[in-house]
Amino acid sequence: MKLSAIKLPKPSDLTGTLRAVAALFPDPRDVKLPKNRKEARKAAKDFWYGKPHGERRLGDLYCEKTGLYKHREWRGVKDTFYYFHMIWLYNYANMVMDIMKFGSPVTFVKGLWRYRWMGQTYLPVLHWFDRGLEGMRGPALRASAWHYRAMTCVTINQFMNMFEADGNLRNGAHNDAWHHAMAHKETVWGGIFYPWMDKFKHIPLEMIPYFVTCHVNNHTVLNYIDAAQSLGLPGDPCPMCQAEAGIFVLDDVPDYAPFLVTSNEACDGSVASTAIQDWFWNRPLFAMPQPMQFDDPLVQEHCANEIRECWKFIEEQTGVPFNWELLKENLEKQNELMRFEWEKWDVDAKTGSYPINGVAQALYRIYQSQYGEHFIWHFVDGKVNKIMTRCVEKKIDTFPKTRHRVIAWSCAPLYYSNWCTWAYNCWGLNTVINMDSLMFDMTIRTDTLDHCVEDMARYHEWAPMRRMAVGGMHHIFELWDYMERFRCDMVMMYDQLQCKGMQGVVGLFEDEFRKRNIHAIWMPHALPDKRTVSRAEIRRIINDYMTTVMKEEPLDPSLLEFDDDMSW
Amino acid sequence: MSVKKRILKAALRKEAKRLRKARRARRARRSPLCRVLRLFGKLFALLAAAYAALFAVFFFDLDGKLLYYVVEPLLVRHYDRMERKNPLEMPYEMKSE
Repeated sequence: MKLSAIKLPKPSDLTGTLRAVAALFPDPRDVKLPKNRKEARKAAKDFWYGKPHGERRLGDLYCEKTGLYKHREWRGVKDTFYYFHMIWLYNYANMVMDIMKFGSPVTFVKGLWRYRWMGQTYLPVLHWFDRGLEGMRGPALRASAWHYRAMTCVTINQFMNMFEADGNLRNGAHNDAWHHAMAHKETVWGGIFYPWMDKFKHIPLEMIPYFVTCHVNNHTVLNYIDAAQSLGLPGDPCPMCQAEAGIFVLDDVPDYAPFLVTSNEACDGSVASTAIQDWFWNRPLFAMPQPMQFDDPLVQEHCANEIRECWKFIEEQTGVPFNWELLKENLEKQNELMRFEWEKWDVDAKTGSYPINGVAQALYRIYQSQYGEHFIWHFVDGKVNKIMTRCVEKKIDTFPKTRHRVIAWSCAPLYYSNWCTWAYNCWGLNTVINMDSLMFDMTIRTDTLDHCVEDMARYHEWAPMRRMAVGGMHHIFELWDYMERFRCDMVMMYDQLQCKGMQGVVGLFEDEFRKRNIHAIWMPHALPDKRTVSRAEIRRIINDYMTTVMKEEPLDPSLLEFDDDMSW
Repeated sequence: MSVKKRILKAALRKEAKRLRKARRARRARRSPLCRVLRLFGKLFALLAAAYAALFAVFFFDLDGKLLYYVVEPLLVRHYDRMERKNPLEMPYEMKSE
């Protein structure tokens, strides 16, 4: 390239560029120097402890449209440096370590270069932490951040396992890792594969390319939704199913396993996406659907038989026999996780010292219960246990500005899972529990194989959205019991606009809310697709309810309205 | 070059040489402990500078800005231009057993 070909910006353009860059940083003119001793003392206190809730003006930190920060929040010396050392630095360092631990950096770079969902999504992962942990202090900041750490580790583990086995990165050649991998739909519980855990790796097909991407960077998934519709498929079914099919349409799926186990969960849209996956992935498949009416004992038996059939299929495909001891060992480890989760729920229900915020609680629990056993869950639960025990012993009020204890019901908007962090900071709405957490409320017996399979069948039937969203009246209306148990006075009722199952019960819920005199806010959304109902629209709906019905004043008025349309 | 300038340059060179010699002599006179302390001092200064730079990256969200304005657009451009196979060309049946 000739030097003369380089065009220097004109002075007028340069000014514009500089202004745009300056808008990404704090304006020095906004810094107010203290005028008297009282103000100086207050400034010193704010510097040391961080501004109290109500004076923070978190909305002023955002850059227009992008949701980036002019500067990250100053949380006081202790919490800012905790965030810097133990969250930002620690997680960046551990991301690199995890990549090295679960594979090689070269494979990682190859995968990053090959797959859109990888490059576009997983690099800005620390911003996902930022969004979920905004405004958090003390134990709430620490315990919630540990949950994020676990999810990041499991995610890296999964995509590195995919890349290490991926034929696409090796010109179609299938290595040993490919022959020792088992693929399944993300809604098939990982526990089904425990009997082969010593020799094989089970890797959900869409959990990483689709589900986690929506939370971290919701721009990515839009490509896949549009790709599914480009085939001529209608745009009104569940966008989750569309996106899961779209990954295949765009040829963005690693070729990492010789066979596939699928399910119909949670609806007929999912069945359709499986048909496309079956067509485009072209390999042996075992379909293990979750029954609609699962409370019937006959259906229970049928489901248990299907699990046994699935095991036979895996034996045929792998040539490795079913290992009962291995299944038992892993289920017992998973039961340990469940028992700790019950402890957490107990603290959450009975005290004000529960240190985990709404988004960390929901994502961690659904991820853990759906993926199944992994060493990092135990490590993180140990850390969280210490923090929680300290909170209970010292009776620390972890969310001191709680005005309402909220239960979130039905399935959440994936592109705005951190709405509960916003709602707490802005309105004092503390989402103490949610449907996603409560779905797999059981341990599994390991005394005999029959008991074990019976319980596993129930666990499989209670998959996300099956039990409490489209699983019949009894389970949907368990909401009232949980409200009482967790002392909730408000419901955030998710309204997935493209879920035909839940739309059928809107009127029934309305009637019940009126009859029981419960404050409920309907939050419309389209699961991963932010174009249908934007995040700003969701905030406006909550703002309207809080001002017109509840007649309350916001804790942080700077968070009422802001434009984050182009945010990750 | 004038004679005056040449003389001045030679004098400067001589002075620099003398200073270098003196510095070397001073270094030789330093105790091993002093040398180690100076090395640690330098290392500490370097680490402190790196720490301050990292904190600046963290505090001003420079990582986010870099990823949003530079890395993501470049990667997206790459993914948009990638050649991909058309799965619709695959017949709707199992090819392999």
